[in-house]
Order: sequence, then structure tokens, then C-alpha cells
Amino acid sequence: MKVFNKLKQRNTQIVILIAVIAITLAAWKPHVLIEGLQRACLYAVIALPMALILGIVGIINLAHGDFMMLGAYFAYFFSVYTGIDPLVAIIPAFLAFFLIGIATYRAIIKFVLGAPELNQLLLTFGLAMVLEQLANLIWTSRPVKLSLKYVSASATIGSFSFGTFEFVYIAAAIIVLIGLLFFLKRTDTGQAALAVGQNPRGAKLVGIHVDRTYLFIFSLSIALTGSIGAIFMTRHSIFPLVGAPFTMKSFCLIAMAGIGNLMGILWCSLILGLSENFVLSFRGYAGWADILFFALIVLVIIIRSHQRQVK
Amino acid sequence: MKGSRYLLYIAVLIILLILPLYTGVYLLNVLDIILIYLALALSWDMLLRSGQISFGMAGLFGVGGYAAALIHLQAGVSPLLSIVLGGLTAGFLACLIGMAVLQLRGMYFAIVTLALAEIFRVIIRNFPDLTGGPEGTILPSAIFAGNSTKTYWLVLAVAVISVIGSEIFRKTRIHFALTSIRNDEIVAKSSGINVFKYMVFIFAVTSAIQGITGGAYAHIYGFVSPEGSFSLNFTLLPIAMTLLGGMHSTWGSVVGAVLLGVVSEFLKLQIPYGHLLVYGIIIVITILFFPQGIVGTIGQRLKKR
Repeated sequence: MKVFNKLKQRNTQIVILIAVIAITLAAWKPHVLIEGLQRACLYAVIALPMALILGIVGIINLAHGDFMMLGAYFAYFFSVYTGIDPLVAIIPAFLAFFLIGIATYRAIIKFVLGAPELNQLLLTFGLAMVLEQLANLIWTSRPVKLSLKYVSASATIGSFSFGTFEFVYIAAAIIVLIGLLFFLKRTDTGQAALAVGQNPRGAKLVGIHVDRTYLFIFSLSIALTGSIGAIFMTRHSIFPLVGAPFTMKSFCLIAMAGIGNLMGILWCSLILGLSENFVLSFRGYAGWADILFFALIVLVIIIRSHQRQVK
Repeated sequence: MKGSRYLLYIAVLIILLILPLYTGVYLLNVLDIILIYLALALSWDMLLRSGQISFGMAGLFGVGGYAAALIHLQAGVSPLLSIVLGGLTAGFLACLIGMAVLQLRGMYFAIVTLALAEIFRVIIRNFPDLTGGPEGTILPSAIFAGNSTKTYWLVLAVAVISVIGSEIFRKTRIHFALTSIRNDEIVAKSSGINVFKYMVFIFAVTSAIQGITGGAYAHIYGFVSPEGSFSLNFTLLPIAMTLLGGMHSTWGSVVGAVLLGVVSEFLKLQIPYGHLLVYGIIIVITILFFPQGIVGTIGQRLKKR
């Protein structure tokens, strides 16, 4: 009976689905499996901070990907001017973007917390525009990239070889996820943040400083996003609009997993990452891979709204 | 009082109609762009009055443009008729999509429209035989052989149609239905308003206006491409215009479009690579400090007196 109940849970179903897909792919197209895993974890690690803001502060941050873009530029210039490896820039990026997060919250976000949802959406949309265009104005739209030797490291098993550096995404996703879960479940601040996310008024009544919690969670998420940008730029070339698609994809993952379900984001990103790479692996159909995410987001949101109505 | 107001409208319209006799080609071109964005801003605001926010304007604009261009090229329909057909295509498509997605509210609807715009773009890019793929399609000639006066009249007609449409929506019972849906959907439903029907209707109408605008744009420049016709500008600029002028009114969008249109023409010369920055800043500042917009704020001040 217990097993049966467990089967009914969404997370369990998704895990089983992923396991089936993974085994099929491992036998048929192994490189799709490995690259898909790496891509999926990149999506997951970017989506996690956005889910944190949406779940606790209750704001959908449409400028999310653009903060990652800024983080990538930060790491790029840090590395160019100091000559230190950009992966080291993760730590200064974290600190710098924590401050940027505080400034953004204090200057902008705080004033729309009680405003209608429409105003919040438009505000972060405007913020995204400002960040993208500012980057465009300062650094121009020309893509930049550091040439790092170790990013093209590869390993060979039997007849096929694959990049090993991209496993850093998997490590990052696991670290961020476990860190966040630990923070939310085991620390006092995290528990307070969860309480605020569930019911801000109730949290205020029991003496939690709601505004400070919002400030901390927002800044923490921006800091995480900024330092993910530092990891992102080691492998990808960066330009002002590089972050924008990730905002959409992150939202897609959050909507699919359900708001507040951090673990689910990882599973959903695995499905999307694997299927996207699967489509990419067919010659001549690669152009359709872009549509997969967007088609899924529309589908998932519609199905969800129907489920809610039936209930 | 009411009669004099209509006289004023007619006077403004006549001035706008005979303007080409006194101005140069450059000014007409600027006016074309302002009027196109004006029509888009109004159509966005018309949907906004029901409380739904759409980020998919560029998608329907592009669909209308492609439909008009392809109908003209493949079926040999005259350009003017093909613009109307392009608008109808966008409206019909929106009607179908609306049936599926108008159960959604708030951020979910907004994100779905943004995603749909992307989907349209990717689909069009992936059918190179029909649509020319990533390079786009070039029409044999611009509409009216590039005559700027006639082009101006065409765009003026589109803008006037959307102004009249918006006023009709404000003066008839549709206005009350949409406003009550925006204020409280449950109350609206329990007073016998068919919320879903009204939503689909308004979504289809506004999308048709966006489609017609897209068709006109495609024929004026004689060119459609995935990046150009679906450019985010066609979503962003009208939103900034409506917000600056004031939401939920016809004249708010008109004022915003004229103001920002003139400013943007000036900014393009000053900072060619980042003039959109100003639009982002305007959106942020407007939302933060005067969410009513210019027309709304002035209206409030006048009422207080």
C-alpha cells in the first residue's frame, strides 16, 4: 500500500519516467544522454534561484536571466583584468551580486510587493530591458569568450568521446539544490523564510521580520544567479541577450514542477534537457529544438489550469 | 459640448489627412512609425482593460505580416486586400489559441503569450520553402510603389480604425463587462457576464488589429523576416507607450505613442545602439512613481480641484 501511495506522487512518477528515458537513451544514443544530463543541470541550476524568489517573495523576476548575463560579464572582466581563472570569480561574483540584489530590492522591488501582479510583471520586464540595453550600450552586442584550455577536456569510453568539463554543471546543480534544501529545512532563517512564503501576515504575527526575510532571499537568489553566470561564461560565449532565453526556460521549469517544489525542478529539467538534446541529435531537425521548451511550457500550463478547474 | 468635441475630432482628422501636402518624406516616415506603434499600443491596452496582460504582440504582428506577404505572393491578391486577410488570419489564429489559453490568468497568460510569439517565429523559420526561412521573403515592390503620401494614408487609416475600435469598446456594454472582469471576476460571473466569451472576443479583435498593423508594416517595407517581423520592439515599445500615457483609456495610449515616438526618433540619432534603454527606464519609473500614466495623473489632478 505504501508503495502504491508513493507511486501516486508526482515526483516519483517523474523519476520513473526519467529512468526509463535514460536507459533507452544509454543503449541507443549515449552522447545524447550525457550531453542532455549536462544541459539539464545547467537549466536546473539557473532555475533554482528564480524558484526561490517566486516561492518566497512571490515575485516573478523576468530579469532573472539578465542577472546571470551580468554575472558572466563580471567574471569575464574579473578574469581579464586580474588574470585569475574565471571559476575563482564565483566568490567575488557572489558577494558583488548579493549587494546588487540588496540595491535592486531596496530601490525597486520593495515598492511593488503589494501592487497588482500586472505591475510586478511589467516592472521586472522593464528591468530586464534596462539591464539588456545597458549591457548592449557598454559592451556592445559582439559576443566575447575567454579561451580556456580545460573546458574542452574530454574523455573516451569505447568508441565515443564526450566533454568532461560540462560535468561542472551537474556538480553545481547538486550543490545549489542541496545547499538550498539544507538552508530551508534545517536553519532558523530558512524556516522563517518558508513561513513567510506560506503566509506573510501569519509570519509577521509570530514575530518574523518579513521585510528583512524578503530582502535576504531576494539578494541570495541574485547572488546565486550572478555566480552561476561565472560558471556559464567558461564554456559559452556571452553577449547582452544571452540570459533572456534562460528566463523563459526557468519559468517553464518552475511552472512544470509547481511553485515551491525545488526537487521537482531538477527532475523536470532532466526531462527537458534530454528531450531537447534528443531532437538536436537528428540532422536537419535541430531548428525545432528551440520550440520544444516553448511548446512544453504552453502545454504544461494549460494542463495544470485544467487540473485546477476539475478540482 | 458633445457636438464641439466631435467637431474637434473631425478637425484633427482633416489636419492629419492634408498633412502630406505640407511636409517632407522624412517627417511622413516618422509619422508612419508613430501611427503603427499607436495602433499596437491601443490594441494592447484594449486587452489590458480585461485585466489580461499579453507579451505576445510581436507574435501576432509577425503572423499578420507573414500572412499578408504570403497571400499577396502566392495567391496574387492585391496588397490592400492581403493586409485585411492577414489581419483576419491573425484574428482567427488568436480565436483558436484563445479558446485554449484564456482559462489562464495573470502571469501564466503573460508567459504563455510570450512563449507563443517565440513558437510562431521558430515555426516560420523552419519552413524555408514557404516563408524563406531565416532570410525572410522580399516582396516584389512596396505598396503603392513606395508613394509616401499614400502609404501615410494607409497607416493613418489603420490607426484611426484602432482608435474608433477602442472608443467603441469604451462606450458600449463591452466596456462594463471588461471592467467588471478586471475588478472582480467572480462578481462579474455572478452578475451573468460570460467571462470566457468576452475574453476570446477581445483577444481575437485585438490580435486582428495587430495582424493588420503587421500586414501594413510588411507591405510598406516590402520585406518580412523572422528576426525583423517578430522583433521584441513590437512588444516592448507599445507597452512603454501605453504605460507612459496611461492605461485603460484611448487617449492615454495616443498621448504616449506620440510622445515616445517623437522622443525615440530623437534618441535614435543620439544613442544609436541603446535607445531602447530609455524605454526600459520609462517602464520602470512609470510603474514605480505614477502607475496611472500621464493622462491618468492629469485627470486625477483635475478631478481633485
